[in-house]
Amino acid sequence: MISLRNVSLVYQNGVRALDNVTLEIGKGDFVFLVGHSGTGKSSLLRLLYHEQLPSNGEITVDGIRVDRLRRSRVPALRRHLGVVFQDFKLLSDKTVWENVAFAMQVTGAHTKDVMRQVPRSLDLVGLAHKSRMYPGELSGGEQQRTAIARALVNNPKILLCDEPTGNLDPSNTTEIMDLLLRINLKGTTVLVASHNQAVVDRMRRRVVRLEDGRIVTDEERGYYYLGLGQGQILSG
Amino acid sequence: MDSGKVKFFLGEVLRNFTRNAGMQATAIGTVAMTIVLLGAFIFVHQTLAGLGNDLLNQIEISVYFNGNVTTAQEDALRLALAHDARIADVQFVPKKEGLAELSAQTHGVIDTSLLTDNPLPDKLRVRVRDPQLVPAVADELRTHAGVGNVVFPQTIVARLLAVGGVLRRIGIGVIGLFLVVAGIIISNTIRLTVFARRREISIMQLVGATNMYIRAPFICEGLLDGVFGSLIAVIILVTARYALWPKLMLALPWMQFNGTTVDGPLLVAQLIAAGGAIGVVASWISVGRHLRT
Repeated sequence: MISLRNVSLVYQNGVRALDNVTLEIGKGDFVFLVGHSGTGKSSLLRLLYHEQLPSNGEITVDGIRVDRLRRSRVPALRRHLGVVFQDFKLLSDKTVWENVAFAMQVTGAHTKDVMRQVPRSLDLVGLAHKSRMYPGELSGGEQQRTAIARALVNNPKILLCDEPTGNLDPSNTTEIMDLLLRINLKGTTVLVASHNQAVVDRMRRRVVRLEDGRIVTDEERGYYYLGLGQGQILSG
Repeated sequence: MDSGKVKFFLGEVLRNFTRNAGMQATAIGTVAMTIVLLGAFIFVHQTLAGLGNDLLNQIEISVYFNGNVTTAQEDALRLALAHDARIADVQFVPKKEGLAELSAQTHGVIDTSLLTDNPLPDKLRVRVRDPQLVPAVADELRTHAGVGNVVFPQTIVARLLAVGGVLRRIGIGVIGLFLVVAGIIISNTIRLTVFARRREISIMQLVGATNMYIRAPFICEGLLDGVFGSLIAVIILVTARYALWPKLMLALPWMQFNGTTVDGPLLVAQLIAAGGAIGVVASWISVGRHLRT
């Protein structure tokens, strides 16, 4: 579903964000990208939705060669993807319903599809009863759930999450991760960039660890730190 | 057509237009001012051009036949000119009538009754449709058989044509300048609104909206700025035209202004179209810049 081969990314200021990264993610996988701030997690995600182009290497997302994609084809790629950010990126002057519907309306979806899909998406994230509220009236967790509903409303095959729990308390964090798991169980490929050790260790999913732009470990059912659970590293 | 889509689109345009009311007011106001200046300039320019054309249209070529001309030659030339598309009017003036005219024009200073013989030749009085062609037609007439002399106010024609040419060039330059200035003003305003809505634009891009879809509401916004601005300008100009024109006629009674040389409805349509077009082009450019970055 997602393939990176020998991908490097060097910014104009000379900083090497990614260095010869090769990674394969299958359909329906749930993968954590972990590592300290500045190790290239967000850069890798940005490459996948063509916010950034690689300096070298090949990137394929759902059969689309992203590194060779013409600018005019980028919107089509992004309709295959849902993207969730730490800061939610909601429009404060639109209600929950309008924020979610916006993602369909601006891609030219038919009104009847919007009327059908938006309630489904809000049901999935458990916000149907707050559809008329504005983001400012919601908790952080609810705002993130709104952002997830928006990311899912176009039925993407892949969900990219960049530090989705970075602004949330532990209770909301658990809610959001459980939601992402449910979404994954419905068949959506989920890739989560996180430096939240507790979250990663609790979920026990595939963990890809980046350091200085390189993949240093790639474990099935892994922990945040190689082979060690949360309690062990904290006490050790 | 999905009416929901149209409703959403128009709702977005209206919401954005009213949300940045202060900025829109600035854009509309500056467009209005620019279009007022442009409209006033075009009005004055067209009035002066009309004045010049009126003078040029009054210019006649006098074709004097020589003493040896035959009636057949005179008739042939008159008929040829009557069928010439460049000629607006041709009139045969027999020498007897010419003498009477001379007497009338000189208010009796020249007493033609003292003449034993009429010294004037027969002549043709010719008016050309396009004043620019006067010299060329005159030159051509000189070559005809039986024609003795061809006279027209050469210096006046040359000067009027030269002044007309300069006025036309200045007019094109100034109009172009006004349009560019209005374009820059709208473009900067739209850039401010684009900047104010950069978050919304980034979300649209993120969820896969095409650049055309992102652009469209801004283009409509630019169009509204341009059209509203030029409508206000037209109201100001029309009010000024009816309030000031009679006073100008009183102040400058010796000037034979012909108010009809300016086609009012056409000028209004042109100004509104220009305002709208500037709005569309300027917003297209400023959103395009943002989308490229």
